[in-house]
Amino acid sequence: MGEAIRDDNGSAPFRVVIVGGGTAGWMSAAGIRRRLETKDYSVTLIESDDIGTVGVGEATLPHIKIFNDMLGVDEAQFMRETRATFKLGIQFCDWDQPGDSYIHPFGAFGEPWGGVEFQHHWLRSQHEGHQRFPLEDFSYSVVAARNNAFEFPNEDSKSIRSTYSYAYHFDAGLYAAYLRSWAMERGVRRIEGQVCDVSRNPTTGDLTELTLKSGEHVAGDLFIDCSGFRSLLLGNVMGVAWQDWTHWLPCDRALAVPCKRVGALTPYTRSTARPAGWIWRIPLQHRTGNGYIFSSRFINDGEARDTLLSALDGAAQGEPRLLRFSPGRRELAWSGNCVAIGLASGFLEPLESTSIYLIQSAVTDLINLMPRRRSTGVDARLVNEFNRLNEMQYERIRDFLILHYTANRRMGEPLWDYARSMPLPDSLVHKLELFRSRAALPSHQYGLFARDSWLAVLDGQGIAARGYDRLADVFPLSVLEERLSEFRNRIQTNVDAMTSHDAFIANYAQALEITKPEAAVA
Amino acid sequence: MSTGQPLSRVVVMGRDVDLWLCVTAISRALGPAGVQVTAIALPTRLKPSDISATLPPLEAFHAKLGIKEPSLIRATAGSFSFGQNFVAGSGAGRTSNFFHAWGAYGAPIDGSAFFPCWLKATRYGLKLSYQDFCLTAVAAKNGRMLLPDEATSAFGRTDYGYHVQTMAYAGYLKSVAANLGVKIYEAHKGLVERDETGSIAALILDGSLRIEGQLFVDATGPDAILIGRSLDVPSDTWLPYFSADRFLAARAPAFTQTPPFAEIRIAGTGWTALHPNQAATGILHAYSSESLSAEAALASASAAASAKLADVSFHAVNACVRSRVWEGNCVAVGGSACVFDPIHDVDLHALQLGLVHLLSLFPVTAQFAAERAEYNRIMRRSYERIRDFQCAFYALAPFDGEFWRKARALSVPQALAHKIATFRACGQIAPMEDETFLPDSWQAIFIGLGVAPESWPPAIDRIPPNRFREEFHRTIEFIKGKVLEQPTHDGYLDSIGRSSLA
Repeated sequence: MGEAIRDDNGSAPFRVVIVGGGTAGWMSAAGIRRRLETKDYSVTLIESDDIGTVGVGEATLPHIKIFNDMLGVDEAQFMRETRATFKLGIQFCDWDQPGDSYIHPFGAFGEPWGGVEFQHHWLRSQHEGHQRFPLEDFSYSVVAARNNAFEFPNEDSKSIRSTYSYAYHFDAGLYAAYLRSWAMERGVRRIEGQVCDVSRNPTTGDLTELTLKSGEHVAGDLFIDCSGFRSLLLGNVMGVAWQDWTHWLPCDRALAVPCKRVGALTPYTRSTARPAGWIWRIPLQHRTGNGYIFSSRFINDGEARDTLLSALDGAAQGEPRLLRFSPGRRELAWSGNCVAIGLASGFLEPLESTSIYLIQSAVTDLINLMPRRRSTGVDARLVNEFNRLNEMQYERIRDFLILHYTANRRMGEPLWDYARSMPLPDSLVHKLELFRSRAALPSHQYGLFARDSWLAVLDGQGIAARGYDRLADVFPLSVLEERLSEFRNRIQTNVDAMTSHDAFIANYAQALEITKPEAAVA
Repeated sequence: MSTGQPLSRVVVMGRDVDLWLCVTAISRALGPAGVQVTAIALPTRLKPSDISATLPPLEAFHAKLGIKEPSLIRATAGSFSFGQNFVAGSGAGRTSNFFHAWGAYGAPIDGSAFFPCWLKATRYGLKLSYQDFCLTAVAAKNGRMLLPDEATSAFGRTDYGYHVQTMAYAGYLKSVAANLGVKIYEAHKGLVERDETGSIAALILDGSLRIEGQLFVDATGPDAILIGRSLDVPSDTWLPYFSADRFLAARAPAFTQTPPFAEIRIAGTGWTALHPNQAATGILHAYSSESLSAEAALASASAAASAKLADVSFHAVNACVRSRVWEGNCVAVGGSACVFDPIHDVDLHALQLGLVHLLSLFPVTAQFAAERAEYNRIMRRSYERIRDFQCAFYALAPFDGEFWRKARALSVPQALAHKIATFRACGQIAPMEDETFLPDSWQAIFIGLGVAPESWPPAIDRIPPNRFREEFHRTIEFIKGKVLEQPTHDGYLDSIGRSSLA
């Protein structure tokens, strides 16, 4: 081993400087602080009270719990402070065609029998069986969601109540604030201010120092760009090119507005297709978040505003706020000693609540591939690996999002007509062909999404499989039908015994000042 | 079965293990769903002295085929192999030997992977090698089996492969296939009859018997009689990645005590693998014909094996992959799809992968363009990941001698170059889809070949050094205790009944 590993014990810590204090900034700060030695790494975060955060990512994926657990966050406390509710999946209304609805759950459909995945057995019963139950009857989480019920998954893996996981809806601004106090208590230095100048090493092009409006200079060894769409460092300074995906994901604007909470708390996000995009509905304890993601090619801002306001189920709290964006990603998320996390590295619409997941996976990879020493600086080999992993994550999610658009039967609406006929990435074409031919689901070891997610959306969007795995035919049909009906009953019986989501929240994590009127949205 | 008639007649032409494992697998899995399998067996090319080494996943595959391990071991003079012991002989200029085990190395420490903890500890003076923390490596080097129990399962994988007499193994599979109702024809030659679309309609055997089918499988080995000679699908060469262009196969006497591992002995002019089983020791010597004549290779192999060799045969190494392994209605599996360099004994595993993916993509009806396209993509990736693992051995070999100097100068596939770079930087294995070899194996080979990572993931710097010491100590003690509980390899072979071939 000899000289290969040199350590500089006692040398000055590696200086990490984060620009931007939204969800991305504070997740980065908290993650690094929790996983890496304080004496080896200093973390400084610069944020401006004058710059708002985007915060459309109020709905999450189950992975967030791993992040929170890693920090040692107390779930009930975190839920109280962020006004969180539980999420078992996403309901898609009118996506395939008006009047339809399906739920993409965080859970399994059925179970494999005889080494054959469930969808093959189910499809066989659809082709040949006497009773044709919809696919969603075989998902514990979908049935629970439709009943507005919630309980924690059972730890006994043999129980039907262990076949799902859950995520949260929360106020992303409050989550960032929660992480901010967590991180600051543990030594992250926060500087209030705005970056007005960036110095670079004339030879390497690496960033060396930021100058703030106050005149303060902040030097660093690694700069994390969490500046959002502006991509202040990676895009503007490092000049990393933008890869545009508008031809696959035509929506480029969002209008967001909260409204008064009415009715029961749904344990799912709702996404409703509209002529020029889709409207989200995210239930929080104290209010409901809403927004219209649309394509400016197919509707103007005024009409979009009217569409959104007429879709609210409670009184609007303020005027809808407009966001402009482009779908796509920076060709490299990490260049030189500048790595972008969150919207500064790319944007995918929140259709499948992937924004915070993408932040989390980037933070995890960054910590894992972080330079260890100030003396040697950033290692280009590890930068390559980070970029490879980041690209894989983005492309897999991208294909899954495109699926929702392209597989539709909303005839005569220009956006949807376009989406049906647009050329698709080869990687998605292959997946569609394989499902159509034999109900095969994409399976990869790394990245999103898992088989059951693809199944939910492929089936939900009305894509029919011509055939299924021959191995399914080995079972006698009567045995299959008995199993299906037993499985379905088991779900129903168990869900009937569940607590309502409202009651569960009230008992577990009710925010203290839940009746107070909400301040203006960040 | 939905639209179209189900595809039900499969004809497999081939020989030896490629043929018999293929028909057994398809018939076992899909026979009950109405698929009929016909085997057209060409004359064998095996010698009684041939020994095949297998990789760990074959055990689970056998279980699916209903093959019981003790009966297989008895029938094939088989033995267990827990890994590969790499030994540099004189002339290779390097004395630090290493063991590449199939089992797990170390156990996580406070939630962190073992490898970086070990790596860091060596920087701070730890003298224990990586393999000292591998339960199966220690057991094997002590001539022991490793029978898993609750404690070893909590510790990690205790995987193993086999060394089987190839001819007996092929015969064993043939009888399993016959019992499953596979229709078997012996033939010397099969002529291909194509239909108007270019698909294979039938095979004409020895100029007379006509066998029709809907799907044809080429299991004819590197001859690739169907997919290559008849359908003209070319191969993409991998020769630029490998330095051996010849290998010699031979038989040496059995060891008095059967080692439960393979041994790779390195010389300046090539390498020699010893695959011991109950009846004999298989010898495989890989070399470059530019530097060694056949006689010199034989001398070199005999010296490496320290034994008089019998049944000596010489073979060309022609590593290449079929550019499309499924063309029209013809699927190539095993040697007709991909020919590998002999290092690490991957042939049978590549065959198994081809069969596993064929079963999971087995056509529903005669419309199978999507399945074919996916099969071609997935097999190509899978073969390339295996090839990369083999290439790493040559690209990183630290040994002296002309053979190894040439090996180090070879080109390196891009994905492998990236893996090596990532490992050098921080000791991690870049995760990729469709890998055969687990990170433990990659790390064992990289470390064994002397690649020294320059750093480690910084998160482990939060683990206090005394935790390392405690866990290392606990692990070493655990391994010591467990190994002493194990039967010897020979004792275990006795207990399941010795082979009549031995």
